[in-house]
Amino acid sequence: MSSPLNRAWRIFATGFCFTSFGLGGLLLGLVIFPLIRLTVREPAARRRISRNVIRLAFQLFVEQMRVMGIYTYELRNIERLKRDGLLIVANHPTLIDVVFLMSLVRNADCVVKAALWRNPFTRGPVQAADYVSNGSGPEVVDACIASVRKGSNLIIFPEGTRTVPGCPLSFQRGAGNLAVRGALALTPVYIECSPIMLTKGGKWYRVPLRPPHFVFTVGEDIPVAPYLRSDLPLALAARHLTQDLERHFAQELLRHG
Amino acid sequence: MNREQIYAWIVGVLHETFEIDPADVKPESNLYTDLDIDSIDAVDLMLRAKELTGKRMQPDVFKTVRTVQDVVEALYGVMAEAA
Repeated sequence: MSSPLNRAWRIFATGFCFTSFGLGGLLLGLVIFPLIRLTVREPAARRRISRNVIRLAFQLFVEQMRVMGIYTYELRNIERLKRDGLLIVANHPTLIDVVFLMSLVRNADCVVKAALWRNPFTRGPVQAADYVSNGSGPEVVDACIASVRKGSNLIIFPEGTRTVPGCPLSFQRGAGNLAVRGALALTPVYIECSPIMLTKGGKWYRVPLRPPHFVFTVGEDIPVAPYLRSDLPLALAARHLTQDLERHFAQELLRHG
Repeated sequence: MNREQIYAWIVGVLHETFEIDPADVKPESNLYTDLDIDSIDAVDLMLRAKELTGKRMQPDVFKTVRTVQDVVEALYGVMAEAA
């Protein structure tokens, strides 16, 4: 599997898949979403349809990459994601984690850069799918909690950006704050990719020697009740929860790997 | 309140709200890079400031502050205005 020919194939296939991802995005942005906007007036229905379309598009992309031999993957305890109103937290080793997760999770919501609301190609889809924008400052917290309460499954990467290979995990406190301020349990997803590909700062065409294997493991819910004590300010509760979450992820990833 | 009292109040708030060791706090400490305050913490801090001054802090005030001394000056300004 690690012949030069196979690597050359995977470089080509990766470039091909990324190109088709871009073209697919254009098709969605220029044709599909304008059609949805024209034909579906009711916001809740429009949101549901838009999220289904995006999920289907991401499923196609994930399978296209797999069929072309870029990677293999397996899912563990994935039935735990088949619920409503989850606050899903995952580590973030590669560029395509969010594509994987959004292909797996029904009615997925996520926090999207405000810039994508101004970009003419992405504005349509993110608006129709009614994702949370990070542009509104502190109100993001309320918007996230409201989304989960409405039944959306919100995906957060507490690292804030992709893991720096070789460095210990470092979590920001956004997810911890959502959990304590919204009294929401956390549903952890541990993502492993070995050998690692598509890392932060890594070039997409530097494909690993052999095709990577992804493992997505859904853990048991982490209850938030132990952190909600009247003597503990919420900011502190979020700090404690975030520290524990970081340690928990480090342990689980070590155990699986 | 004078500036020293406001400074002491901030050190106390940072300790009880965020468990920041008073020994780590200096006037020139940057809230975000030295003391690990994030934007959600900043909102909590604004609420505490409102309790102290009795006035709603303009969000812009906290957008421009970077250091502990900046907070002291902002609060001192608000309180002097109110007095």
